Amino acid sequence: MGVTCVCQVPVAEGKSVQQTVDILHKKLEQLGAVKQGSFCVDCETYTGNVSGQPSKLLYVMHNSETPLSCMALFEGGPCLVADANFDVLMVKLKTHFQNAKGHKVECRGSRYRYCDFLIKVGTVTMSSSARGISVEVEYCPCVVPGDCWNLMKEFMQSFLGPSVPELPSVFAAKPEGLFAPADCVDTMTQYLELFNKLRKLQIPGSNVR
Amino acid sequence: MSGGPAVRVSIESSCEKQVQEVALDGTETYVPPLSMSQNLAKLAQRIDFSQGSDSEEEGGEGEPRDREWGKQEQEEEEGTVKFQPSLWPWDSVRNNLRSALTEMCVLYDVLSVVKEKKYMALDSVMKDKNPFTICQTPQVFQLISKKKSLATAAQLLLKGAEKLSKSVAENQENRRQRDFNSELLRLRSQWKLRKVGDKILGDLSYRSAGSLFPHHGTFEVIKNTDIDLDKKIPEDYCPLDVQIPSDLEGSAYIKVSIQKQAPDIGDLGTASLFRRLPKPKPGTQTWHVKLEAAQNVLLCKEIFAQLSREAVQIKSQIPHIVVKNQIISQPFPGLQLSISLCHSTGERKNHRASPEKPKPDDHLYVLEHNLHQMMREFHKQQLSSVVMPHPASAPFGHKRLRLAGPLAYDKAEISSLQQNEGLLEKIIKQAKHIFLRSRSIQLQLNIGVEQIRVVHRDGRVITLSHQEQELQDFLLSQMSQHQVHAVQQLAKVMGWHVLSFSNHVGLGPVESIGNASSVTVASPNGEYAISVRNGPESGCKVLVQFPRSQTKDLPKSDAIQEAKWSHLRGPYKAVHWSRMEGRNFVYKMELLMAALTPGP
Repeated sequence: MGVTCVCQVPVAEGKSVQQTVDILHKKLEQLGAVKQGSFCVDCETYTGNVSGQPSKLLYVMHNSETPLSCMALFEGGPCLVADANFDVLMVKLKTHFQNAKGHKVECRGSRYRYCDFLIKVGTVTMSSSARGISVEVEYCPCVVPGDCWNLMKEFMQSFLGPSVPELPSVFAAKPEGLFAPADCVDTMTQYLELFNKLRKLQIPGSNVR
Repeated sequence: MSGGPAVRVSIESSCEKQVQEVALDGTETYVPPLSMSQNLAKLAQRIDFSQGSDSEEEGGEGEPRDREWGKQEQEEEEGTVKFQPSLWPWDSVRNNLRSALTEMCVLYDVLSVVKEKKYMALDSVMKDKNPFTICQTPQVFQLISKKKSLATAAQLLLKGAEKLSKSVAENQENRRQRDFNSELLRLRSQWKLRKVGDKILGDLSYRSAGSLFPHHGTFEVIKNTDIDLDKKIPEDYCPLDVQIPSDLEGSAYIKVSIQKQAPDIGDLGTASLFRRLPKPKPGTQTWHVKLEAAQNVLLCKEIFAQLSREAVQIKSQIPHIVVKNQIISQPFPGLQLSISLCHSTGERKNHRASPEKPKPDDHLYVLEHNLHQMMREFHKQQLSSVVMPHPASAPFGHKRLRLAGPLAYDKAEISSLQQNEGLLEKIIKQAKHIFLRSRSIQLQLNIGVEQIRVVHRDGRVITLSHQEQELQDFLLSQMSQHQVHAVQQLAKVMGWHVLSFSNHVGLGPVESIGNASSVTVASPNGEYAISVRNGPESGCKVLVQFPRSQTKDLPKSDAIQEAKWSHLRGPYKAVHWSRMEGRNFVYKMELLMAALTPGP
């Protein structure tokens, strides 16, 4: 588990989502990256129903990179990492946390390896409609973002071109700054931010949210 | 008399002759002795006949009748014969005879009258009035009472005997019961048992040892005490029997063999072994033998199931083939590793027990053993992963794997925790190793601080010093020996006969290092012979001996002129070994042998 950066790649003008993804794949393969299977990140939304408290959203996420884990993130609050049994627990907690069925977000795509970098290009889908393209870049040998951010940025420029993201806010927001070790929650927080951004960007008139 | 003094009185007959008269002058006149007849009459007179006849009749009645009859007689006598009755000495005898005659006559008359059955009839006298009953009754009573008491005694004895036999049978039954219990106890000390309803079920699976094989492996304990008491109890009778699942009956083993699809002379000396049926150890219970066999079948099945699962899952360049009870894999091109599950049930086992000709098979016992060992290792791994205490909510598995969720292990970390090498991969690796090993000289070099220890294939240990020349020399001598060994093995394959073989030849030029080794082999028909001498220093020297008939330049001998002597082998000729065709020594030798073997 190294330092990750998740960013949104805008759909190229005059191209569909799938076409843009294909272009990215082609670019990565030209670089010399090797395809290594696929990946999947999903997110389910629960609404807290604890009496006397303002309702808070709880996101339960899975990442195929950590197949035995289950991440639960409170909106702007604490988060926890548990094993796969957590999903079963959530069913038991139905009275306190209600699953917002229509809010399931998924991100699926291919996984590429380029030396020490792991690149995942995925399409974000909400209720079976593609909403955007995500790119996750992981630099595996390092866990300190401050040490490798510039390297990652340079690498991302080589196939993303101008749309290289800024340093993810999760790293900057930490009290220790860039030198706190990155972990899987940071990745999931970035994905969650991306999903929420895509959700809000939705075309007016759609019945989602 | 008793009071008076004891007076001795002697009595003796006064004289022989009775004195009749004593005369006045004192002379005694003797009564003349009785004549024979007179004496008889006198003696007869003394007999009381009435007494003798009275013995049957009551004494009281006899006398008056006698007297009456006597009177009658006297009257008759007086009438007929004028005799002095008292004077006649035979009078009483006559009287008695007479009365007897009368009685006989009366009896005769009565009998004749009775015989007529007109006027008289004989009737049996009532028993009660019979005087005999009086004395016989106690005898009968005695008999009856004796009989009765005897009968009661006999009954008592019979009862006792019955009780005894019953208790003996009960004892036996008890002992059998006890035997069953003790057997059950013994069974319980070796196998897992549990009671379900009125049945006793056992578990022969390896699940408690960490097996994940889904077969339940349950056997049932049967009480075998209901046998016929009358019949003879068989020798191997056991009050406890076990019933094993039908699919675990018989015996099984995993057969591992390496076959060459095309014969390859490079691999020589592959041992061919025979499968021997395991014999049960004497003194073990039948149920134990049965259960162990069943457990073995179960383990074999588990191993095979695991192997076939892996064979299907694992991707390899040449896919593994699973056909029925056989897994075929190709560790090297042209080489086939076959693993098969041989399961023979009881009936077929009998057939196998008496094979007409045991076929040599290439079963690799080492690999079979290793498979068993690896399976058990796998079991142990499974078992040790479920170390108690274990969180109730956590999934079973390795302890570190349990942390994989909460600590968010990624794919690489998880795969490093999991067993990445299966049974099949391991066994294929081992088979490859065995194959390669059979092709090469085996030496183990233990390089230590001061010296180098060389462990030879046959277990010999040679210690070498720091001089590198020693190791070089040793390897050279090994190589030269190996070539001679190769010729020996090659001869076996080609059907040549080994005439002589020596690892250390005492003849010929002396080698500076080690000893030369040599082998002489004769062609199948015996015409040619090849001698190979191989020295670490001098190298290889090959000679061929030709039959005499083919050598023209042989000088004629006076001694051997007959045609049959031409079959004798003649002189040797050296082969220019370096000019022989062939990739290596063995190929060259094969070519040479083929050239010297006449075609069919």
